[in-house]
Amino acid sequence: MKASSTCKHLKVALLFSLLLIFGFAVTVAVSDAESVTKTKAKTMVAAATQAAPAPAKKSEKAEAPKIDPTDTTSVIYLDTAGKPAGVGDPNKPPSMAYKAGRGWHPQALAAQGLPKDRYGLIDWARIVRENLVKPRFSLNPEDDEMPPLKMDVLITAKGDFVNDVIYPHEMHTFWLKCEICHATVGGPIFIPVKGSNDMSMVGIVQGQWCGRCHGKIAFPLTDCSRCHTSPKKAASK
Amino acid sequence: MRVKAGILIFALLLAAVPSTGLAAIGTIRFDDKIESMKKAGVGPVMFPHDKHEKTNKCDECHPKIFKDKRGENNISMKLNMEGKFCGSPNCHNSPKAFPLFQCASCHTGVKAVKKN
Repeated sequence: MKASSTCKHLKVALLFSLLLIFGFAVTVAVSDAESVTKTKAKTMVAAATQAAPAPAKKSEKAEAPKIDPTDTTSVIYLDTAGKPAGVGDPNKPPSMAYKAGRGWHPQALAAQGLPKDRYGLIDWARIVRENLVKPRFSLNPEDDEMPPLKMDVLITAKGDFVNDVIYPHEMHTFWLKCEICHATVGGPIFIPVKGSNDMSMVGIVQGQWCGRCHGKIAFPLTDCSRCHTSPKKAASK
Repeated sequence: MRVKAGILIFALLLAAVPSTGLAAIGTIRFDDKIESMKKAGVGPVMFPHDKHEKTNKCDECHPKIFKDKRGENNISMKLNMEGKFCGSPNCHNSPKAFPLFQCASCHTGVKAVKKN
C-alpha cells in the first residue's frame, strides 16, 4: 500500500515537473535573467513540496547556461592570454595595453559583432556610419537633440612630405558636445577660429590637441593614415 | 701610383668588410629633408644601424626595404606611414617595434610643446 502510493506521488511529481520545465523553457525565451531566477525559485519551492525534486533540477541546469558576472572563470571575463581580464591600466593608451599582452575580451566582442579596425580595436566611426548603434542624445528627455555638425576642416601638415588632415566635425559631434573641445575647463583644447591652433604632431604625441583623446579613449595615433588622408600637391613623391 | 694605392686600399677595405660583419656602420644621420623637419618642429634622425644589426639580419632590410647605398632611399614620413622604409609592416608599423608617432624615438631635437 505504502510503496504504491509513493510511486503514484512520484509519477505525479514527475509530470508536474515536466510541465514546469516546459513553462520554464517558454519564459526563458522571452524574459531576462531576473525572471529566470524567479521561476527557478518557484520551481525550487514547488519541487520542495513534492517528493522528487532531483530530475527537475538537472534538466534546468542543462537548459539555462547563464553567465554569472561574479564568476571570474566565465569565458567572457578572460583576456587574449586566457587570464581574467579587467586588469588593464586605464591611464595608458590602448596600444600600450596591447603590447603588454592585454586585449579586449575576445568572446564578448565576437558576441557583440562590433566592427573592428586593423588593430583589432572597436571602430566606433564605422559603427556610426553603418547605423549599428543609436545612443540617446541625453539622459534628460527634455534636452533638445542637436544633429551632428557637418563641417570638415583641412588641417595642413607642417612637414612638406606628410598628407594633410581632413578633420570631420560630423563624426566627433556625433559622440561629443561642442563644449567638450571648444569650452573645456582649463582652456579650450581647440580655439574655434581657423588658424589659431598651432597644432603639431610633436604636441599631439605629448597629449595636446587631438592627443587629449586619441591614444587614450579614441583610436591610437599609431594609425597615421586614418587622419592624414589628403595628399599634398608639393610632395608628390 | 695614387690610383693603384687607391685600388689597393679599396680591395683591403672590401676584404675587411666581411670579416667585421658589416658592423662598423654605426649611426647614420638622416637630414636631407631638414627644411621640412624644421617646419614640423623636429631635428634630424640619428639612425642607429648597430642597434638594428643586433635584432635583424641584413637581408631582412637590404635591399628589399632599404637600398644599401647612401642617398638612394628617399625616406619620408609619408612613405613610412604608407608601409615603406621604417614603417614596413613588420617594423615600426607593428607591435614588434615602437610606433611611428613617437617622434622623439627617432628624431633628435624634439622639445616639449607648451600650448599657446
